[in-house]
Order: sequence, then structure tokens, then C-alpha cells
Amino acid sequence: MGRTIFRVGWPRTDKDRAAAMISSLVLHIHPAKVQRHSLRASYTLGLGLTSAYLFGVLIVTGVVLMLYYTPHPLDAYRNMKDLQFVVTFGPVLRNMHRWAAHAMVVVVFLHMCRVFFTGAYKEPRQFNWVLGVGLLLLTLGLSFTGYLLPWDQLAFWAITVGSNIAGYAPGLGAEIKYLLLGGNVIESGALLRFYVLHCVILPLLAAMLIAMHVYRVRKDGLSAPPAAEPPPIEEMAPGRFPPSTRSYGLMALADRPAQPVVESEPDDEVLTWPHLLYREVLVLLAVLIALHAAALLFNAPLEEIADPTRTPNPAKAPWYFLGLQELVSYSALIGGVLVPTLLVLALVLVPYLDPVPRGVGVWFAPERSRANRIFAALASAAVALTLVGMFFRGPNWAWVWPWTP
Amino acid sequence: MNDPTRRRFLFSTGVTSVVLSACGFLGATARYLSPNVLYEPPHRFPIGSPEEFPPGTATFLPEHRLFLFNNPAGFYAISSVCTHLGCNVRHIVGEGFACPCHGSRFDENGQVVHGPAPEPLAWFGLSLSPRRELVVNTRQPVQPEYRFRV
Ligand code: HEM
Ligand code: FES
Repeated sequence: MGRTIFRVGWPRTDKDRAAAMISSLVLHIHPAKVQRHSLRASYTLGLGLTSAYLFGVLIVTGVVLMLYYTPHPLDAYRNMKDLQFVVTFGPVLRNMHRWAAHAMVVVVFLHMCRVFFTGAYKEPRQFNWVLGVGLLLLTLGLSFTGYLLPWDQLAFWAITVGSNIAGYAPGLGAEIKYLLLGGNVIESGALLRFYVLHCVILPLLAAMLIAMHVYRVRKDGLSAPPAAEPPPIEEMAPGRFPPSTRSYGLMALADRPAQPVVESEPDDEVLTWPHLLYREVLVLLAVLIALHAAALLFNAPLEEIADPTRTPNPAKAPWYFLGLQELVSYSALIGGVLVPTLLVLALVLVPYLDPVPRGVGVWFAPERSRANRIFAALASAAVALTLVGMFFRGPNWAWVWPWTP
Repeated sequence: MNDPTRRRFLFSTGVTSVVLSACGFLGATARYLSPNVLYEPPHRFPIGSPEEFPPGTATFLPEHRLFLFNNPAGFYAISSVCTHLGCNVRHIVGEGFACPCHGSRFDENGQVVHGPAPEPLAWFGLSLSPRRELVVNTRQPVQPEYRFRV
């Protein structure tokens, strides 16, 4: 009976392992063989993989949280208190969901930096970078919409400030805000909209984009320095299987007496099972251990119930938007709308503004030092503004030193 | 059968219809998202009899997010909603208003002194109901010279 489920059974030879990689839907996200280069932890830092794992954890914990949550101002906050104090393991699940969400923002951002500094967005991966920018925005959107759901003071005022920023968008700003809130005030209608966005619309979009993103990684292979790239198609001898391991059938690995495949493979390719697969399981283990540790040690914050009549002082947005809030404190239109729009536009256009396929597959290639410096400057500016918002702003958004009480 | 002109015509008609119906559906859905009726607080509401606000006082009415002032020239109401991004401003007697979110400052008349707020705080028109209650109308903007005498 096991054979009807897992067609190849537990594989004991390399050939069977390769067959498993190719015939199983889940496993065949991978090629049967991968380049040694792409196994190196120092190249990808496992950041894309970790983003995907975090997304998985968020789906699982999010779905079970939904079972104890009603999206209505009269219930939402009470539900959170129940999760915190009444439901067995409620705090663990809530904390896991919260810390995984925060971690995902950080990890996706770092993944983007990795891709930039290794020049991995260049031909033929330009569009996958664009899909990635979409994923970055979706990650932020998911965090932002989730932020309102506990219906505490933190949530209410962060969303007040956030949705009013949307109102500054030239032309359609007022309409966007009206559609987002389903009205003019943050009330039951707005909570329901954020709930549906957070639990249905944005996760579906993200899952679809992740599928496309990973499919393209699978088809293009992981970026590598030119020396490690497979030769172009024309150079391949007829009748010989391409040495690339991207897309092919089992024949490549079948024993062909006249011409053992092993000999025609470049030395730097290894079987995905076990070399890549075991590393991936290891990263999963690390992610799960880290999340459990965080969830057991630190409680997700829950402030007093949302009170539209009383603004906390200072009222801060979620940390990943504090850079934006800092900009907004100079000007809502320029800082809140213009700068972010231009930044996103610039991000989307990166592969098309910098098309020369040089310095791909290595960190900080000297040929790309100008592009890397520009990107590093912008990324550090974003991080610096965020840190200022987090630690250097006190009551009335006045400058404070973090070490003065 | 093989007439290329006819084939092209049918093909483009088909594609156009698919695009048009998709646009129609998307347009209808976009309109659907914008509610016609809002169950939100009314824009005209009574706040109590004039005697509840003695002369020379400034009263914060948190549930309506406004300040009611009674000075010798009459009553006036100023919104507590910061015109920057919607936080509640605090009243500081003799100085004006301060916003906790991004540090905007307003003078006693709600005019911007400094900070990111682009506009002065809103002033609302007042009236007296038949039951002698002060009524605020948030859809009736008035100038800072406005005073309401009972
Ligand atoms: C939810 C967010 C994301 C997920 C789950 C995700 C997932 C992945 C995975 C699993 C890989 C394989 C290699 C690796 O582990 O590094 C990858 C590669 C890649 N990602 Fe992402 N990613 C996300 C966001 C982004 C963002 C924000 C960008 C850039 C703006 C981006 C651009 C790329 C590119 C260009 C590659 C190919 C890199 C190469 O071939 O070396 N991704 N992504
Ligand atoms: S909301 Fe008042 S200064 Fe920003």
C-alpha cells in the first residue's frame, strides 16, 4: 500500500534517490542534482528558504489562531485576552505567529540584500527580482493588516496613522483610504476588511507569488559565477545529456553502458538527495527551534483595549514602518507617499537599470562596486531611519537618547 | 475555412469581448467595495446644555474628539483630530495644542505653529436644539472668528 502513496519507496541507492526527486511532486521543486556552489551556506545564507519556512509557520499558526478570533471590536480584544490567559498553549501559538511575522520582515529584507550584493537579479533572473519586490510588499502588507487585529491601543493608533498616510496619495488618496477602511472611521467595517485582507486575500496572493518565484528559481537554477554556469545549448554534443541539472528526465541518471553519465558530469554537481535536502531540513530545524525559543521566552505585546479618544504619547507605528513615520514627521506627502513610491519604483527597475551581466554569483563583485555602494547606502538609510524611529523618538516625537530614562 | 482575414477578425472579436467583460466585472467589483451606507457616528450631535460649560473653560469631549470653549464672546468648538495623520491633540492652556504623534504644534485658534500638520485644526459650527442643548455640526466648517452666543 505504501507504494501507492510513495512510488519509489525509501530510496537506498543514488539512482533511487534521484528517481524520488523527479517523481514526487513535493521533492521535484528541486532538480535531481545541484551545483556544489549553490549548496554553500555562505552564498545564499539560506535566507530565501528561511522566508519560505516562516511563511509556512505563519499559515499554520494563523489558521489555528482564527479558530479563537472574531473580527469585531466588541470581541477581538477579549479573544486576545482569552488566547493569552485561557486557551491551553494559546500564548505559544500567538507568540509564534507574532515573532515569525517580525522575523519574516527581517529575513525577506536580508534575502533581498543578498540577491542584490551577489548580482543574482541579472539575466535571466530579472523578472524574478520583480516578483521578489512584490513579495516584499506583500510581506509588509500582511504584517500591517495583522497589526490591527488584536484591537489594542498599539493596533488602533498604528492603523490610524497608517491609513491616513494612504489618504495623502495624490489624486486617489481619499478614495483609497475610504476603500481600505470601508468608511471614514476605524470601526467594525475597517476591522473586517483588514481581517479578510490578512487572512484570505494577501496570503493567497503571497502563496501564488512564492510559487512563481520558486518555480523560476527551479527553472533558472541558482545564480553562479560564469565558470560554474553550464555551457550554452549549442555546445552540447548530440546524443549526450546536457550536463546541466535543470530540467530533464530520469534518463540522465539511468545506467547507459556505452557512456556512463557520471563521467560526463562536471565534478561540481552533487545529488540533491542527500546533499541539498538534508541541509534544507537542517535549516527548518533551526528555524523551528529559534521560533519555539522566542515564543516560550517572550510574550507578544498586548496593550489596553483600543480607545479612539486617547492617543498614547508617543504613538508609534509597527517598527518596520518607523522609518516611514520618521519621514512622515517631516512631510506627509513627500515622506509618506513620494519617497516610498519612488523607492519601490527604483527597486522594481533595478534589473533593467543595471543590465550588464557582470559580477554575477559572487558577493560584492568588484565590477559591481558602484551599484553595490548605491544599494548599500539606500538600505542603510532605511535601517538608520527605522532605528531613529524605534529608539530616538520619545513623547511628542521629540528627540531622546535611548539611555536617558 | 482558411480565410485569414475572417480568422483574424473572429480572433480579435473574441479577445476584445473577453477583455471587455473582464474589465466590466472588475469595475463592478471595485464599485461594490465602496459602501453606500455607513453605520458611523452622526455628524450632528448634542453635547449638553450651555450651562454645563461655564465661562472661561475649555472642555475636551473625548467621545466626539473635540474641544468646547466658552469665552466672553461666546462658544466655539475645535476638533482634536490632528490634520497631519489623525492623532488626538492635547490642549495646553495659554499655549495651544500639541500632537503626540509627530510633534505638530497649534496656537489657541488651532493655527499651525510648526510641525508636519499641513492645515489648521477644524472649527465646527454650533447651534441650539429645541431642548436648549448645544449641537455640533462637523460638516459645517467655520472660521476662527466664529463665536456662538446663546
Ligand atoms: C516571501 C518572500 C520571499 C520568499 C519566500 C523567497 C524565496 C526564495 C527562495 C527559496 C530562493 C532560492 C534561493 C535562496 O534560498 O536564497 C529565492 C531566490 C531568489 N529571490 Fe527570493 N524570496 C522572497 C522574496 C524575494 C525578494 C524581496 C526579492 C528581491 C526583491 C527576491 C529575489 C530573488 C531572486 C532574484 C532569486 C534568485 C537568486 C539566485 O538565483 O541566486 N526574493 N527566493
Ligand atoms: S498626527 Fe499629529 S503630528 Fe502627525
